[in-house]
Amino acid sequence: MSVQDLILNLHKFWAAQGCYLAQTYDLEVGAGTMTPDTFFRVLDRRPWKVGYVQPSRRPTDGRYGENPNRVQKHFQYQVIMKPSPDDIQDIYVRSLASLGIALEDHDLRFDEDNWESPTIGAWGVGWQVLLDGLEITQFTYFQQCGGIELSPVPVEITYGLERLEMFLEQKDDIYDLDWSSDVTYRDLRHREEREFSEYNFTAADVDTLRRAFQASAKEAARLIARGLLLPAYDMCLKCSHNFNLLDSRRAISVTERVKMIAEIRALVNAIARKFTAGKEEA
Amino acid sequence: MEFLLELLTEELPASHIRSALEHLDGRFRQELEAARVGVSDLKTIATPRRLVVVGDFAPGQEDREAVVTGPPKSVGIGPDGAFTQAAKGFARSQGISESALEVVRTPKGEYLGFKKKSTGSPTREILAESVPRILGSLAFPKMMRWGTSPFRFSRPIHNLLCLFDGKPLDLAFEGLKAVDSTVGHRILSPKKFRVGSFAEYKTLLAENYVIVDPAERRAIILAQIAEKLAPLKARVYPDPDLLEELIDNVEHPLVILGAFPESFLSLPMEVLSTAMRKHQKFFSVLRDNKQLPHFLGVADAREDAKGLIRSGNERVLKARLEDARFFWGEDRKVSLADRAEGLRSVVFQEKLGSYEDKAQRLKKIGSYLCDKLEAAKVKKDVAEAAGLCKADLLTEMVKEFPSLQGKMGGLYAREEGYPAAVHEAIYEHYLPAGLEDDSPSSVPGAVLSLADKLDSIVGVVGVGVEVSGSSDPFGLRRNALGVCKVILDREFRFSFPLLVDNVLAAYGDRLTVKRDSVKRYILEFFAGRLRFILEKQGFRYDLIGAALGPGIQQVHDVLLRVRALDSLKASPQFEPFILMAKRTNNILRDQPAAKLNPDLFVEKEERDLFSAFSIIEHNASPMIARGDFVRAQTIIFKLQPVLNAFFDGVLVMAGEKKLRQNRLGLLQAINRMFSGMADYSQVVVEGERPAKQGAPR
Repeated sequence: MSVQDLILNLHKFWAAQGCYLAQTYDLEVGAGTMTPDTFFRVLDRRPWKVGYVQPSRRPTDGRYGENPNRVQKHFQYQVIMKPSPDDIQDIYVRSLASLGIALEDHDLRFDEDNWESPTIGAWGVGWQVLLDGLEITQFTYFQQCGGIELSPVPVEITYGLERLEMFLEQKDDIYDLDWSSDVTYRDLRHREEREFSEYNFTAADVDTLRRAFQASAKEAARLIARGLLLPAYDMCLKCSHNFNLLDSRRAISVTERVKMIAEIRALVNAIARKFTAGKEEA
Repeated sequence: MEFLLELLTEELPASHIRSALEHLDGRFRQELEAARVGVSDLKTIATPRRLVVVGDFAPGQEDREAVVTGPPKSVGIGPDGAFTQAAKGFARSQGISESALEVVRTPKGEYLGFKKKSTGSPTREILAESVPRILGSLAFPKMMRWGTSPFRFSRPIHNLLCLFDGKPLDLAFEGLKAVDSTVGHRILSPKKFRVGSFAEYKTLLAENYVIVDPAERRAIILAQIAEKLAPLKARVYPDPDLLEELIDNVEHPLVILGAFPESFLSLPMEVLSTAMRKHQKFFSVLRDNKQLPHFLGVADAREDAKGLIRSGNERVLKARLEDARFFWGEDRKVSLADRAEGLRSVVFQEKLGSYEDKAQRLKKIGSYLCDKLEAAKVKKDVAEAAGLCKADLLTEMVKEFPSLQGKMGGLYAREEGYPAAVHEAIYEHYLPAGLEDDSPSSVPGAVLSLADKLDSIVGVVGVGVEVSGSSDPFGLRRNALGVCKVILDREFRFSFPLLVDNVLAAYGDRLTVKRDSVKRYILEFFAGRLRFILEKQGFRYDLIGAALGPGIQQVHDVLLRVRALDSLKASPQFEPFILMAKRTNNILRDQPAAKLNPDLFVEKEERDLFSAFSIIEHNASPMIARGDFVRAQTIIFKLQPVLNAFFDGVLVMAGEKKLRQNRLGLLQAINRMFSGMADYSQVVVEGERPAKQGAPR
């Protein structure tokens, strides 16, 4: 099964669970959780089911294309079900079986792992799902987002597509994975990893990044005041990505780090508060 | 009759399971005792998905007989000896016949009354009411909601099996009605089945790949480890905490023996075992104390006939080790000394400056300690280690494995060719991690460990943080225990209050709290920590109090004092001496200081006492000063008969002021010598009630 077969299978499986299949969001994010299809949709009381592929950028994880396991950009398959169904663990286990994994020959574990993202004021309780010791999924009952207590509680299932695919293909090197029958992960991504690693660690201009961070933060605040919450949130995502780049350039001291994260969180929380104001009865 | 409860949940964290079982055990016993239901057996067991209570309870509440009183006898029985209207009315209102009335004696006088027997309720009814309350009282360190309910628990709950005498109880908990069925292993046998007893429950679960009793899972894991290692003639590196965690992580344990490429054995053992342990929960495998390129993992599975679980875990571990090797290579491209430059921009504590500031203080404190410990020849090494010891906070390896802090610095320093005294000191300076852990083995390591911990304590207290209850955000307790342990283990002798002064001075004007207050708080805090350590070592509470009496000028002396008291407490002189010392102490209470003049003695007994005391003091004082408390105490015992004779033959509170003052002066001098040994007033001897009981701090 190739990466794209894996994606098609998951699409089919989650569509059958009633999920709407969203398209990838067009901004850099650190995790699928941060896109509007999750962030805004978990805040209100309306039921919501969605599945989508989202590239996740973690600049500090770059290894110049030389490490068989770590990359500065990887693909997540993100599922949100709100409210969390009673049998969500069983549904998830069936999704693995639907990929042709004979689970009785393996060791599937739900291993305590509580997730939090201080930048978007979010946390949840759950597990990392381990398959023969390999973390293939983050499984989280979302408790809070944008500083807001969530009700009903959404469940978030985030598959690491490369991890899962390495398991399915029994391969040791991410670049050997088949994306399709005739395109490999190396063909698609190796040059990108090499160049972006150099950009993330050495080439990115720190002053430009700092200015970009400040400009986006300022813009976000202005847009919040005008009630343009979705554009304001985009600005926060830009802040977050610039922050990550500054971090990989080692340009942030410990105190500065705390301050910058708090700055983004304050903006995001303000967006979440405005977004939910007056929606309580919905 | 048998009681069986199973709460089926989604996978609970191991730490939650342990506390939940303790709580359930306690609450069931408490509720049943309060309800007068006999408990002949009660046991709590668990798997990651099941909290189980099994017990043997009486079928019903004990019957109770209570006396109900009515009107006073004088009102209820007329002059003719017959019941009055008041008595008849009372009987009617209680629904009993008049013949059941009898005279009852109460503290208030004689009344009419009767014995009312109430039959106990069946235990089924008691349980139906108390089980939901007990389950509802479970609390966890981190709780969650799910779905649409506001209810909070550790993880979502799915089924409640609850039987008494083989039949489900009539109760519900958070929407779950008690049933007589459960399910098997999540993957291997998820089907539902009914059970009528604990024996059947256990058997059917085992058939469905769930070993419900943790003790059995432990036995299986240990047996399989032994079986796997026998052909290798190897042994497992013991890790009791990991074993406990794994037992609580699986319903059907299966031990997996895997291997990794031998080339990774060139990585330091600390790195290898941490990569295995922290991320993958693997045990290390040793032969002749050398690490083998193998690991042991515990899977939740039936078998691994195809070797898929083993090879999967091997791949994951290899990836982890490749990362570790990358860090080990990258980190060594920058020297520790260059890296230490970067500590300037790493904040130690907001008000206390950077780690570079801390390193500078550690040099000063380390130098002072070397002088006090007559270790001048390692002074240079300590200073060098102090400058480098925090540099590893900036390495990739420590960012990946924070538990390796200190150790990595030591290993990198060794690779760079620093002298052993320097790299060992860096390696050991976080030790001991707890009371069970070893103290640093080298003098420079011990000095740096003391300096680092005390620097943190003084700094944090100096900016206004105090420890209260369970709140200890800066690890003050842990650090203070570490300081005490190092001093006690290495039998270091130096003035502790002066060291605190030195650390305070090293901070210059950074601290916001007044120096005397910081020092006072720290001395008190350390006395509390020492008490805790000594109690853990099993010393008597009152003897510890006595040993702490003279203060903690020398930390090590507190241990020596309590040991001396402990070793002498059974000797025949002990009790008479303590009583005499207390008598002395009591007489002197509230007396102002009096002057002693040997020329003023009148009686033989006071002259005898003075000369005995002079000799004893002359001999005991140097012993006390050097910490030889057993010998000092043995000599001091000899004062008891002389003191006794003194009290028998001499009136201390003599009418004549001069004589009185002189006698008080003599007793005060004796008491001063006593108080250099111990605070005897704290010691509890037979026939006395404990003078003072308090909870350990």
